[in-house]
Amino acid sequence: MKAFRWWWGILLAFALLAVARVFLPLPFVNEVVIFSIYTMGCSFLLGRVGLISFGQPAYLAVGAYGTAFYMFYFGANPYIGILLGVLSGLVVSFIVGPLFVRLRSDYFALVNLALAVIVFYLMQKVLVGITKGDNGLWFLTSIASTPVLNLGKPSHFFIFALLVALAVWAFYKYLDDSIYGACCLATKINEDKLRFLGYSNYSVRLLAFVIANTTTALAGAMYAVYLGFVSPEISSPSRAADPVIVTILGGVGTLYGPIVGAFAYTGMKDVISKLIGNWELFIGFLLVFIMLAGEKGIWGSLQPLLEKLLFRKRSTTGTADSGEAHR
Amino acid sequence: MSAQLLISGVIFGLSIGSIFFLMAIGLSLCFGLMRIISLDQLLYYSIGAYITYSLSLATGSVWLGVLGGLVVAGIAAFAVERLVFRRIYERELTFSMITSFGILIGGIGVIKFFWGVVPRPVPVPMMVQIDIVGTEVPVYRLIVIGIAVLVYVGIWLFLNRTIIGKAIRAGIENVEHVEGLGINVSRLFTITFIIAGALSGLAGGLHAPLIMVDPSMGLEVLAFVFMVVIIGGLGSIKGTLISAFIVGQVVSLGSLIYAPLAQMAPFAIMLLILLIKPTGLYGSALLKR
Repeated sequence: MKAFRWWWGILLAFALLAVARVFLPLPFVNEVVIFSIYTMGCSFLLGRVGLISFGQPAYLAVGAYGTAFYMFYFGANPYIGILLGVLSGLVVSFIVGPLFVRLRSDYFALVNLALAVIVFYLMQKVLVGITKGDNGLWFLTSIASTPVLNLGKPSHFFIFALLVALAVWAFYKYLDDSIYGACCLATKINEDKLRFLGYSNYSVRLLAFVIANTTTALAGAMYAVYLGFVSPEISSPSRAADPVIVTILGGVGTLYGPIVGAFAYTGMKDVISKLIGNWELFIGFLLVFIMLAGEKGIWGSLQPLLEKLLFRKRSTTGTADSGEAHR
Repeated sequence: MSAQLLISGVIFGLSIGSIFFLMAIGLSLCFGLMRIISLDQLLYYSIGAYITYSLSLATGSVWLGVLGGLVVAGIAAFAVERLVFRRIYERELTFSMITSFGILIGGIGVIKFFWGVVPRPVPVPMMVQIDIVGTEVPVYRLIVIGIAVLVYVGIWLFLNRTIIGKAIRAGIENVEHVEGLGINVSRLFTITFIIAGALSGLAGGLHAPLIMVDPSMGLEVLAFVFMVVIIGGLGSIKGTLISAFIVGQVVSLGSLIYAPLAQMAPFAIMLLILLIKPTGLYGSALLKR
């Protein structure tokens, strides 16, 4: 029962996503699932550790290219490709992490942006012999079909993405509940007190940085397999703020914010660009409005309402439970 | 590398550096006094460029357009300060960063609505070239450099010789004390923000004839302007000037050596400087109050 109570929120969220698959076009829901994994890293950094990063595309590209190099030059198994993409994200964030997390939060944001630009030009111009420049690496046709879930097929890919996202969310929920999650919040709110308690701010931040950016690299690897090609456009600096916007839109630091945000953002992008063809205007002013209205985001404002509804229900079931116990 | 190529490269770098300086000075002042990171300076830059385009088309004079761009950008900055920033001065740094980014993309949407997405050309106001040690150099670029130097001197005089300027400098050190002396700090903030916005507009107007004017031009220079501010140190005018010219030279001379270097080298330099001195060249350890 206890285990069920821990799991039910996540299961419900993903059950809703699975139901959405029936009503909405498949590319849309695939995009939403991958985008929400992408945003999860940024949301964790911003909401739990207080580090804002405008350079998430850098790690997305590292994951995507890690997968693409394997798929294009060496093998055909998409699972190994994704694993290698995640691994390359892990390695890169371990290399740059110790340098970056020492910096103050405003400098941190900009240094990450700088990294995104460096990765962009590295892939577009400098390593043009390996990355094929702007043409990108195409390997959609060479993805080997695997026995259980054939990742080459979008419908199978959706099931895989959903399972991966489920695992990611369970992991982050576990982190939130653990002592480490409390340390992360403490380093955001009052780093002196955390130091006083005998924890190192530096190592808490470094671990958070590595976890978040490995998650981002996972999203990149999944983009690579899903689209079947990777081009430098993936780390384009002009898209650098997307995950930050989605994080704010969904609600900073909440567990389900990234899903809600990714859903709303992808949906609005599709609908508004069809209607008035000028969605930046809308997104920009929505962002300002959310910030001025108390930076809670969509999920952050919905959550209290839902809890109120559920609390009323649970209080009635709660008395029923205790009644049973008495009997 | 021949001397002619080198001289024209240096002049090009200086003029690009001047543009970066004009924009970065606003960011730097805003951070120093109000402790906000105002990404929307890049919007005033685009507004300045577009007003320059429209006015030069209507009146035939680019200089009038630049002047108009400066004024309109200042007015836009005033409106944004009154409507948005007034409410968020006390919040965290990241908060102002995200909010101003929202204003930036919202503003880009407005620009797309009025002018469309097609890049527009702006004529160069002076086609004359002069001879410097055997190299033909366009006069317009020299004028841009001259204007940047004039603005630096003007800002220096303003901050050191006028009461408002002295109050701003004192406010960078400690706002509460300035308030205690009976100076209206909120008006001080508004004045600083308008100056910052107008200078960004001036940068946009001056840059317009050198490039094509398009809606996302602000996003293209965003990274470079930030680099200038970071290398120079947030809140320092002198550091901003020096780092603007360093970045300008690196962009210009780097592209002469190896083309992709132009975009990457400045970032590598920034990483290097931040790792050696995390507050930038002239930055002090200014923190959020």
